[in-house]
Amino acid sequence: MSKLYTFLKYFFITFWTVFVVAPFLWAVSTSFKDFQSVNSKVTYIPWLDFEPTLEGWRVLIKSPAKGGVDIVEPYFNSIFVTCTASLISIVLGTLAAYALSRFTFKAGFVRNNDITFFFISQRIMPPIVLSIPFFIFLSTIGLLDSLLGLVVVYIVLLMPIAVWIMVDFFNRVPKELDETALIDGCNPYQAFYKVVLPNSIPGLIVAGMFCIIFGWIDFFFAFILTFTEVQLLPVKVVALNSSITPWWSLSASALVSVAPLIIVAFIVERYLSKGNLSGALK
Amino acid sequence: MLLEKMKNWFRRHMEEQMAKIDLSNISHTYNPLDPKPTYALNPFSMTWENGKRYAILGPSGCGKTTMLNIVSGLVRPSKGEILFDETPVTDLKTEDRNIAQVFQFPVIYNTMTVYDNLAFPLRCREFTKDKIEERVKAVSDTLNLSSFLNSPARKLTADQKQLISLGRGLVREDVAAVLMDEPLTVIDPDLKFRLRRNLKEINEQYKTTLVYVTHDQNEAMTFAENIIVMDQGEIVQVGLPKDLFEKPKTTFVGYFIGSPAMNIFHSTVSSDHEVKINDTTIKTNSNLGNLKDKNVKLGIRSEFIELAEKEKNNTVKIKLTRVEDFGNFKLLTGKMGNLVIKSKVEREKPIPDGELNLYFPPEKCCVYSDEKLV
Repeated sequence: MSKLYTFLKYFFITFWTVFVVAPFLWAVSTSFKDFQSVNSKVTYIPWLDFEPTLEGWRVLIKSPAKGGVDIVEPYFNSIFVTCTASLISIVLGTLAAYALSRFTFKAGFVRNNDITFFFISQRIMPPIVLSIPFFIFLSTIGLLDSLLGLVVVYIVLLMPIAVWIMVDFFNRVPKELDETALIDGCNPYQAFYKVVLPNSIPGLIVAGMFCIIFGWIDFFFAFILTFTEVQLLPVKVVALNSSITPWWSLSASALVSVAPLIIVAFIVERYLSKGNLSGALK
Repeated sequence: MLLEKMKNWFRRHMEEQMAKIDLSNISHTYNPLDPKPTYALNPFSMTWENGKRYAILGPSGCGKTTMLNIVSGLVRPSKGEILFDETPVTDLKTEDRNIAQVFQFPVIYNTMTVYDNLAFPLRCREFTKDKIEERVKAVSDTLNLSSFLNSPARKLTADQKQLISLGRGLVREDVAAVLMDEPLTVIDPDLKFRLRRNLKEINEQYKTTLVYVTHDQNEAMTFAENIIVMDQGEIVQVGLPKDLFEKPKTTFVGYFIGSPAMNIFHSTVSSDHEVKINDTTIKTNSNLGNLKDKNVKLGIRSEFIELAEKEKNNTVKIKLTRVEDFGNFKLLTGKMGNLVIKSKVEREKPIPDGELNLYFPPEKCCVYSDEKLV
């Protein structure tokens, strides 16, 4: 019985690993192929099955004038928009969450939980519902097709995530911690940034991670709210597809777009494995 | 900048005298907007003298913690005023009052080392480095934390963490009072005993006012000079341990203090100094002239009830139902009609089987009318 269990366990782990890793390996291998090696017969291993070429990668940094697609600028646009929007969302979201967790609000029938839900409800709506108001809003203030406009929209999208995670996190930080800080002589602001905030670093990291992921992978709003001036990475990658699909440069750009998330994952994982998340709240 | 510095200098110098704390007509409700608010604390006035040890004793939910939070400023009382040395501080914020408070469960700053934890209250008040080091060293020696000073506070065990909380309260030698809300709950009994003695020593040495909330009467009795007994938001009795034991002001105090609880019987007044329980007349030292037909009860501690050889004045006849040997004494439980009587007797005393006579010394009998001592 236990042998069967072990077998099944390893079987499923192997299966899952292959399931997750194989597309990556496939993309890596494809990114080094040329038209011939993609379209003739199925090939796997460079130098044995096919002659590798860097053409797929080179296209990504060549300017369009020379027949390239140049994803460098969209790449940095994406990094700028994601990081700025995440940072602002985390700062505002954390402050809002702290207030929602520690103070009692009353406005008519509206209470703290209602306000929290109001934040989260922004994410419940299908994005398409938001697209028209956003479009009109940005065109009215003249921020359509600009980085700043995208940052504003992404803050709206990311802040609910930050508020949601941080409210939950602050609710689990005992209020005696704040009270002790007050008794020890901090004013409420010092109590927040000297005591509560350092204790909340694990929560901030998780919230930051989610913000970065959701900001980075967004295609829909980047697609609708930009035209020619500004392009973000996901839109540019999709735009690579033409009548003849360039599988090699598509694979290369996909790998390049996933890379930052992999790096984030590694950093967070390192942090989590130190046990800083678990021991913080006892 | 200069103004800030002057303010701090002034504050520190003001703080050098410790304070007498006056609570005047304080009451508190958590739902003030309700048309019929329920009071967590009913109006009371009290004075905590400088340098004394107080224990607040009472069952859970009787308003002990609310009282502490009002003094430390975490809760603003609905009514009444708090004065430190005759200066009103009711509207002063927590951080500007000079109070230390320790909670029931350890609250530590996880991200800091033990040293930083202990130094935090002093750093917030901008003490000099040397002074901080001196105080942290003194406190960590008292609390046996010296060997952990440089380790991260979150790595410590629960009782060590609580020592840190305690240490943060004691590190400021100029506090008006250290308020402790059942601080030793998580600490093991052996250490508890030693710590209580330490706290006493600290109090005697530095003359820091200590206020200690507990629901454990032994803790209160051994720790405090003055005990405040509370019940349902009401202060029932304030007094020395001896008073609480011998002359409980209400039947609640009689029940709550002492182990076993005080014997309390329904009774009727039969003359100016006598009450009747189940047709047995008991003489007391209280004046009962105008108490006829009222809800009268007789209370007596099981410690004060004596075994009598034969029937005489002030004895009751009981049927013995149980004898428990506690090692240092025996606890007799007997029945007189439907009344249960408990009596503590010396271990060596021979206990006759079946029926026996118990003597109620008149000076130890307390008579209660409407639950209040006559």
